[in-house]
Amino acid sequence: MALSDFLVSLLTVVGIYTLFGLGLNVKYGFTGLVDFGHVLYFMIGAYVTVVVAMPSGAADYAGIGGFALPELLSALPLGGLLGWLVAIAVAMVAAALLSLLVGVPTLRLREDYLAITALGVATILHSVVNDEEWLFNGPFGVREVYQPLSGVFPLSLGGFALNLVVFGLPSVLALGYVAYRVARYVRPISRDAALLTVAGVVLTIAGFGVTTLGGAPLVAAGAAVIAAGVYVVARGVRTAGGFGRPLALFAALVFALWYFVFPAVTDSPAAVVVNLVWLFDPTTGANGAVTYSRFVLLLTGAFVLLAYLWCERTVNSPYGRVLRAIREDEDVPEALGKPTFKYKVHSMMFGSALAAAAGGLWATHIGFIDPGQFTSSITFFAFTAVIIGGTANNKGVILGTAVFWTLRTGTRFLDDYFPAEYATQLAALRVMLIGTLLIVILYYRSEGLLGEQTYDTGIGLGGESSD
Amino acid sequence: MVSAGLADALAQGLVTGGIIAAGALGLSLVYSIAGVPNFAHGDMITVGAYLVLALNNPGELALVPNLVALPFAVAAVVGIGVAGAFGSAYEFAVFRRFRGKDADLITMVIVSLGLALILRNLVLFLVGSKNVTYDTPSGVNLNVDLYLTGNGLAVELTRRVRGSLQTIDAWGYGWPALVAVVALAVLAGYAVYRWRRGDAGFDEVHFVDPRIWGVAGFAVAFAALAFALRGGALDAANAAYSTRVGVSRKYGLILAVMLATMFCINYVLKRTKTGRAMRATADDQSLARIRGVDIDRVQLVVWVLAAVLAAVAGALLGWYSSSLNPNMGFSLLLPVFAAVIVGGIDSPYGAALGGLLVGVSMDVGVYLLPTEFATYRTAIAFVILVVVLLVKPEGLWGDA
Repeated sequence: MALSDFLVSLLTVVGIYTLFGLGLNVKYGFTGLVDFGHVLYFMIGAYVTVVVAMPSGAADYAGIGGFALPELLSALPLGGLLGWLVAIAVAMVAAALLSLLVGVPTLRLREDYLAITALGVATILHSVVNDEEWLFNGPFGVREVYQPLSGVFPLSLGGFALNLVVFGLPSVLALGYVAYRVARYVRPISRDAALLTVAGVVLTIAGFGVTTLGGAPLVAAGAAVIAAGVYVVARGVRTAGGFGRPLALFAALVFALWYFVFPAVTDSPAAVVVNLVWLFDPTTGANGAVTYSRFVLLLTGAFVLLAYLWCERTVNSPYGRVLRAIREDEDVPEALGKPTFKYKVHSMMFGSALAAAAGGLWATHIGFIDPGQFTSSITFFAFTAVIIGGTANNKGVILGTAVFWTLRTGTRFLDDYFPAEYATQLAALRVMLIGTLLIVILYYRSEGLLGEQTYDTGIGLGGESSD
Repeated sequence: MVSAGLADALAQGLVTGGIIAAGALGLSLVYSIAGVPNFAHGDMITVGAYLVLALNNPGELALVPNLVALPFAVAAVVGIGVAGAFGSAYEFAVFRRFRGKDADLITMVIVSLGLALILRNLVLFLVGSKNVTYDTPSGVNLNVDLYLTGNGLAVELTRRVRGSLQTIDAWGYGWPALVAVVALAVLAGYAVYRWRRGDAGFDEVHFVDPRIWGVAGFAVAFAALAFALRGGALDAANAAYSTRVGVSRKYGLILAVMLATMFCINYVLKRTKTGRAMRATADDQSLARIRGVDIDRVQLVVWVLAAVLAAVAGALLGWYSSSLNPNMGFSLLLPVFAAVIVGGIDSPYGAALGGLLVGVSMDVGVYLLPTEFATYRTAIAFVILVVVLLVKPEGLWGDA
């Protein structure tokens, strides 16, 4: 698998969990509702999207569903996509209604009671989905996942050069824009800190290189070199007087080395070009094409963008101010005559609907769902991602999810260097590190990487009200 | 044909309830005194169970050194002690620091969640995910068969030896004897209750609640009378109703350990200076601090006690169900929380009673429901939790 394919799949996962995290942020970050059952709406979203879009009488499926929406709408232009979008909308409504059912009795409770009750509802409905075969096929899951527009892809416009230009140019521009933003952000860093960070990157990469050669002494030596690298980066952080710029530089350098320099050295310069035009896969078909997984990434990106704008608009509106007031002290908005309970129910439904959309995308991305994919760890990972990025900060959700899933997926490479029987051990070790990270971040930087965002408070600088 | 019925489900429920009560007791101490809704408590149960396993049957574990293999009872005592040391580690490494920062309730919830992830995956890392068992001497299982006949109640003790059922003993009670046993036992229990109720006052706290005295008096009188008034065997061929209760030494030992544990906790809370400090801290932390209570020390004791109680529950659960896996504690978290909330979070006594109530409801509920609902055992605990939260959020014994 080319690195660009890996990058596309990682970005898709990050996008889906960003959507999921935005939903959690509405509940937890902005309204202060500790919903430990958030994964429930993700699961409902995935299942409802799939069974609504599925044709009836699917093989090996004994559950309800089979409304075949995309086929019903196939007479319209883009009917399949439209049917799928309707399925997602149905899933979002279903999740919102379910969260209404869950929320009305539980949202009056104190936050710790709400946490245990939400966890309980999610656990029990998970076991219902797992045990009742008449519902959604129980533990066997659903294999008949509708993938919108899958007939169109791989998409090729004709000649190779045309494809390269049309699809490659946006890819390069996107990469260039990200590089520009990172460079703009990192530029004010002091020379010493930059040098220390670069040295840290070199040491860390060299350490990993030594570790992968294998053999106990080399693994130990590599680990020591990696530790030295981390120490040097920590010195860089201290010199810079802040962790943001050195860490951004570190991440950017590691990415550049991994994505461009190593393929050039170990493979060929052509591999660099392939990676550079990541939206375009020159190896598919005679003239190269855009593969379906890249389309799913674009679709996910569109959903994330819409959800982000929607969340931003909500939290910056007078409505969002009430939500934040409820988080800080529910008695105050109550005393001002706001129906706080209604606001909390709305927030719950809104967040759950976003989680359901994420679930629908997840099903489309994976192409097969079963109850094992929706354990409560998903909720806890989302909490970790939101807290890493900065609670009550929509940009922080994007950054935190990217950091979290990059760390989690990136460390999966290490599995290749250990015998297969240790796979469970390594997975457990990763989750242990996540738990530690959660506690450490809460202790040393409880506001997360970005901190709480600034809001449009409706009051201008001069003190006059603007709404 | 004798089959297991409601009485058997009730007996099973008492044992389950005892185990849940041990977990709930620890959680309620942490909840009320340390102010942490501890989502790691389930995984503390798992850790305790596996600590005992590491001393009792280390051959089952992947990455644990195979040093000693102690008999189960010794391993349980030592393992539970080690679990107490783990408890102090949680306090020193995590919770004391967050208390120093005046962390709010939501932060504490999420911190305990992080600890839960660490503990569960530590177990998974060290021992893998397969089911393992303790190395224990095989117990003796007896069946007590009860028959309701025209002449009275017939009792038969049977036991399975090499596949065939053997009758060990049989006796019976005529109707007058049966009525006498029940009536006299109830009378004795009530008399004990009245006798113990007298001496309470504002400055005198009952060491053992008179209601518990009453129940204990009833139980002792019932057993003594049932033994004294037993008659000859009755013909059970045409019984109107029959039921079988499975008992074993294991069940009796689990209940005895539970009673002893609760007695010890009761002693600590009511008769020691630390216990008084703990109750004062639970009541009002700043007031306790002003009166010279060393809060840090109290919290340390609370975490150690909670970890010890969790380990007791874990060892008993692993023994009772003859299997351990890294998720055993987390799947018990919901019943344990239900027990604490049913009892009222400020009351350890309520938590113990709530544990019994939840355990009995779970097993009796599974018995009463159709068999395809057997997988929703935990759901029963959850329904109890939600109903209590909605109807009486301060718990059934809120200010006991």
